[in-house]
Amino acid sequence: MLVFALRRLNLFIFTMLLLTLLSFSLSFLFPGDAIINISGAINATPSELVEIQKSYQTDRNIFWQYSAYLRHIVNGDLGLSMASQSKISSEVLNLLPATIELSLVALLIAMFVGIPLGFIAAIKHNKPADNIILSVSMLGYSIPIFWLGLLAILTFSINLGWLPSAGQISLLFEIKLVTGIKFIDILLSDSPYKWQAFADASAHIILPACVIAVAPATIFVRLARTSMIEVLETSYIRAARAKGLSFQQIIFRHAIRNALIKIIRHVGLQFANLVTIAMVTEVIFSWPGIGRWLIESIYQRDFTAIHSGLLVLACFIFVVHILTDFIYAALNPLARGNKYGS
Amino acid sequence: MNLLDIRNLSIELVNGDKNILAVDKVSLSMKEGEVRGLVGESGSGKSLLAQAIVGVLDDKWHVHADRFHWRGIDLLRLSIAERKALLSRDIAMIFQEPMACLDPTTTIGEQLSEAIDSKSLTGFFWQKQQQQRHSAATKLLHKVGIKNHSVCLKSYPHQLTEALCQRVMIAIALARRPILLIADEPTATMESTNQNQIFRLLSSLNQLKNMSILLISHDLENITHWTKTITVMYSGQFVEAGTTEQIFNKPLHPYTRALVDSNPSANFHLPAKSRLMTLPGSIPILQHLPIGCRLGPRCPRAQQACVKSPTVTNFHGHKVSCHFPLTPMKVSHKVTKRVS
Repeated sequence: MLVFALRRLNLFIFTMLLLTLLSFSLSFLFPGDAIINISGAINATPSELVEIQKSYQTDRNIFWQYSAYLRHIVNGDLGLSMASQSKISSEVLNLLPATIELSLVALLIAMFVGIPLGFIAAIKHNKPADNIILSVSMLGYSIPIFWLGLLAILTFSINLGWLPSAGQISLLFEIKLVTGIKFIDILLSDSPYKWQAFADASAHIILPACVIAVAPATIFVRLARTSMIEVLETSYIRAARAKGLSFQQIIFRHAIRNALIKIIRHVGLQFANLVTIAMVTEVIFSWPGIGRWLIESIYQRDFTAIHSGLLVLACFIFVVHILTDFIYAALNPLARGNKYGS
Repeated sequence: MNLLDIRNLSIELVNGDKNILAVDKVSLSMKEGEVRGLVGESGSGKSLLAQAIVGVLDDKWHVHADRFHWRGIDLLRLSIAERKALLSRDIAMIFQEPMACLDPTTTIGEQLSEAIDSKSLTGFFWQKQQQQRHSAATKLLHKVGIKNHSVCLKSYPHQLTEALCQRVMIAIALARRPILLIADEPTATMESTNQNQIFRLLSSLNQLKNMSILLISHDLENITHWTKTITVMYSGQFVEAGTTEQIFNKPLHPYTRALVDSNPSANFHLPAKSRLMTLPGSIPILQHLPIGCRLGPRCPRAQQACVKSPTVTNFHGHKVSCHFPLTPMKVSHKVTKRVS
């Protein structure tokens, strides 16, 4: 298990190095001066500029420039935003938790709805229930997300008035920012209206999270269905039936676990897709997350924010990917052992 | 009274508009405490027959039978649930690839203890039932000759060898104290030393616990050491059934004759580098089955009558399904006349 963890850590470090290489080269590829792009100091006086050039070592060759850039990133200095001239690292720290919160809630919704539906479809293979679930999932997959988001706002917030349409929490509640993840902050705060704030935050997250979850959930339905059908045809399920176990026992003790193993790796892959959808949805629902911030910086040609934002988001997706790998290893004893030649 | 009595069992593959008769009117009967071999080439429907008996075939296979008696109980009259309960209590089955038949994500211990009938445990669930299950699982492993039980119970199937996995499968099969054990090519993927160990284990179980065994194999020579009676199948049809001596020394059916002759040990008198005795051609595929006797196109004794399915003739318990049976030609006719 230790070897497995070290391998993942190793993979993480090298992928992050490649990502920084990409974001470093972006500063040269963007229009304008590379040193301005990388630091974001557009209003710097000549003397300040000399200072910045010195810290990024622009007088030396490209390798030293890259290592200076790496040093800045490791120290948590991502430069200044060209649009607002505030530190990007502090902006990211304020915005990223909201995106993490939203995308994780959406992922959980997608998994808890999609995977059981897929299992049901597989168990009722070639029966009406299977066909209905499959066609509904096809429909859900083909709906454009921005249209669905607007439609959800129109129905549930404007016509029915059940759920709020924008923001993370009502402005009436004053919650001190500690971790950035709203639910945790609310529980940590000592406000007398803690539980009302909690209910309000939950009402705010339902609509955007559900809109994000639609497309991944339909993918999970299909993945769960195919993997469950595969598992139900294996010889160990036949052997379990010959053992005299009931159908429920076979499904819950043997089939679900083996089917989940096949799905869980795809969850990590689908997460990248989900974050992309989340960025669009954040714009629609004015969610104060990093996706909306990134799209706004693209509009404002804020090159420093773009390349730092990409780095942070890619890092986040990769961390989730590694986490799903660990869950995979926990479920699958075959992945845990050290294999030779792999 | 027969333990198992099956008459004219057919298995049909329902495939869109065309149905394929994979097993065509096969009869099989077993006595208490008997070790019967079921022999045939791969694709002859012997595994299908076994799976139909246990009732683990998919929905796409349709099974019909004229008679299906288990210890005098007519199973065709019972409901599906009752039949399943009765069969899973009394019949156990072990499969070809033991490693593929064990759940790869669950430990051997869990898989073994879930096979133990909860009725055999005493007390309520809070009274250390887990411990009882554990000790029962340990005992089962000892029965199949695994001494290192604590390691084995904790390990996953991929950590054991094929032979150990097959022993575990036998232990799982023994957990319900079955009366009949169906072994579907239990040693197909093993080396010969391990093969003999498994066969020895099965025959000791037969002798000590009077457990009947239906041993399915494609290797006639190998299983003759372990069986008392043998049934031969070809391409889903019944060929011949009798005691091992009858089948091996005096086969009546041209196919059985060819099967016995194709053994290297039966060919010692042949000069070096000459061809072994075999039938021409190969086993027909399911989509193009010949009518009548399915051996017809390959049979050296085939005549016009062979386009109709032969009926089973009984020569003193030696049953054969052929229009023109082999050796005791004249004698056998007299016998049939006397019998009829």
